[in-house]
Amino acid sequence: MKRTIPAVGLAAALALTLTACGGDTTDETPSTGDGGTTEEMGDEPVTLSLAGWSLSTTPEFQALADAFNEEHPNVTVELAEYSAGDDYDTQMIADLAGGTAPDIYVQKNLRNFYTYADGQQLLDVSDVAAGLDPATGGVDFYEMDGASYAVPYRQDAWLLFYNKDLFAEAGIDEPDGSWTWDDYVDTAKELSDELDAKGTYQHSWQSVVQGFALAQSEGAALDTGDYSWLAPYYERSLDLQESGAQESFGTVTTNSLSYQAQFGTQEAAMLPMGSWYVATLIAQQESGEADEFEWGMAPIPQADASTTGTDATPVTFGDPTGLGINPAIDEDKISAAKEFLSFAAGEGGADALAGIGITPALLSDTVVDTYFALDGVPTDDLSAFAFSTHDTRPENPVSETTAVVQNILGDAHSAIMSESDSIEDALAEASDRAANEAGIG
Amino acid sequence: MATTAVDQTHGGPGPSVPAPPRPRRRSRSRLALRNTLIGWSFILPNFLGFGLLTLIPVLALFYLSFTSWNVFGAAEWVGLENFQRLLGDGSYHTALFNTLYYGVFHIPLTLVSSLGLALLLNRRLRGVAFFRTVAFLPYITSIVAIAAVWNMLFSPEFGPINQFLGALGVQNPPGWTTSADWSMPAVIIVSVWRDMGYYMLLFLAGLQTVPGELYEAARVDGAGAWSRFRNVTLPCLRPTTFFVTVLLTIGSFKIFDLILVMTDGGPGQSTLVLSQYIFDKGFVESQYGYSSAVAVSLFAICLTVTIFQFVWNKRRDA
Repeated sequence: MKRTIPAVGLAAALALTLTACGGDTTDETPSTGDGGTTEEMGDEPVTLSLAGWSLSTTPEFQALADAFNEEHPNVTVELAEYSAGDDYDTQMIADLAGGTAPDIYVQKNLRNFYTYADGQQLLDVSDVAAGLDPATGGVDFYEMDGASYAVPYRQDAWLLFYNKDLFAEAGIDEPDGSWTWDDYVDTAKELSDELDAKGTYQHSWQSVVQGFALAQSEGAALDTGDYSWLAPYYERSLDLQESGAQESFGTVTTNSLSYQAQFGTQEAAMLPMGSWYVATLIAQQESGEADEFEWGMAPIPQADASTTGTDATPVTFGDPTGLGINPAIDEDKISAAKEFLSFAAGEGGADALAGIGITPALLSDTVVDTYFALDGVPTDDLSAFAFSTHDTRPENPVSETTAVVQNILGDAHSAIMSESDSIEDALAEASDRAANEAGIG
Repeated sequence: MATTAVDQTHGGPGPSVPAPPRPRRRSRSRLALRNTLIGWSFILPNFLGFGLLTLIPVLALFYLSFTSWNVFGAAEWVGLENFQRLLGDGSYHTALFNTLYYGVFHIPLTLVSSLGLALLLNRRLRGVAFFRTVAFLPYITSIVAIAAVWNMLFSPEFGPINQFLGALGVQNPPGWTTSADWSMPAVIIVSVWRDMGYYMLLFLAGLQTVPGELYEAARVDGAGAWSRFRNVTLPCLRPTTFFVTVLLTIGSFKIFDLILVMTDGGPGQSTLVLSQYIFDKGFVESQYGYSSAVAVSLFAICLTVTIFQFVWNKRRDA
């Protein structure tokens, strides 16, 4: 009896430890199917694994997998679930380093693309990129040293959402596509004067100010060490919160305000936000989380009049979401994986995505029609123009220093918006830190 | 034991020496071995977890701090380069300063308030268990919930704290977590409030070991409450106080979670602490080599301070 106790204890301990250790990795190990053997994609059954996040609430991965399987019945795409948010990249980096990442994985934004590409964790897919429709947005964002390492399947762009009912109530003209940022600020102030609601809601993210500044300012770049181009954008943002046309940064952060609630419950008449919000707003109006009101989309205000009006192409920003191939993929699955990338970034994938309210990277006329046929999407001309016509610049241009600089500029953002620092001082400090921490300038 | 017995009964030809001592020693050493193994098997589950999840990563950390590892590929040896970089890195200096700023206020404030709470709740009051639970509750509350609620309380325009200050006639109430000057005090207040319940528990345990006769004797000698506290309670509590101080110091230097969810190091870099800097450099910017070097420096600081505390404690013991 005495001898059996330690033995049982030891066995139990071992079993516990081993199962605990095994649990994490087995979940995400890509299943190895019977791969095709020829270089060209044959008819042999192939199973590809694809990374996705929050699968139950993010239907785009399953939509792509199903649509692809319909066209290529011999290829099954299995989804591997990852965490949402920033944890996605942390988890993916760990799995790639540990050799258990799926065959195809998503580039959630451009911020970490350099880390993956430079770390040789992405297969060269220049041939897939070259075969894409030239109208596909954001293809060249994934180029490094002349080769492409991922292709975009989804490209959200930032637009100006506005509440038509509140504009009517205030008796103020709706946006017509001709707005510069000064027009936007003036209108926001007028709206606040006329309404119980705020004129606009700018969320506390740094991109709400910096994304537009980077996209629209002449000669602006993250890796120069000179960030003076941010100043006019910050002056306007501070003007908005000081005049009361926008909730103050402190109120937004300390009360954890959400942009969905602020615009959806008519606390603010305008909202600069990414096009992903269309699907959310429609769903929330249906579920009753958001009020019932008429809304529309307008092009985001411009730096000056040269890019305004519906005969010009407004400049906005947005990182594409891309697909890349894990270099550890079985040799005989590569052609199927590349085929999947072509499909997802092409017309087939775009149609499948538009059908569930996602903004695809390829906005052909048929894709736009599919999108605007959805229930609840506003059908006026300006909304259609705003959604389909824009010159979208990357929020995180690919470079070795992007992640470091964005961190530095994030600190500058909170220092300026909380009025802890003057714009000038905060931007000067950002330049100093860029030199010190990223060797820039 | 059984084999020895058999040998003895069937004792063959040989010296007529009674049971030789060797087998017995062997059996004793076997017993010792068995006991050791039993002991080991009891700590094995914990040790395996510790070894795999803490010890090996920590050892790897020391190695990585001398490399330029960025997750993928081999870790290239760069010698002391990361540590030289620390010397000239302004953000590191800010993080170091903020960590010390936090510690200098958080440690004594928590110590005093938890001891005060323990003394208050060490009496025979009606419902003392209830009050002890209430004091301990913040410690077991989710830190994300704590951060969200306190952020609302601190809200500069609509928060109850500033409204209360306004009612008291304060003209320009602080901006708390939205002001670079006040964000660290705000974090320290929340942190002290959260931690004092836990350390109160340790002090309460310590107070139970103070012999009642000492108080009686002091009272007979005419000692007042303050005098009894100074000359009886405090000296008897010294082992507890030392233990609490060491725990508090280490906990204070590695503060991370509360700051991350409450201010995320901001506004600007006003609440950036070393642990968050390690996290940013590593998990956000993928500079694991440099991030490891920062972690090693934090480890060195904690170690030095703890050793100093032990030495000081020993001296006072002597």
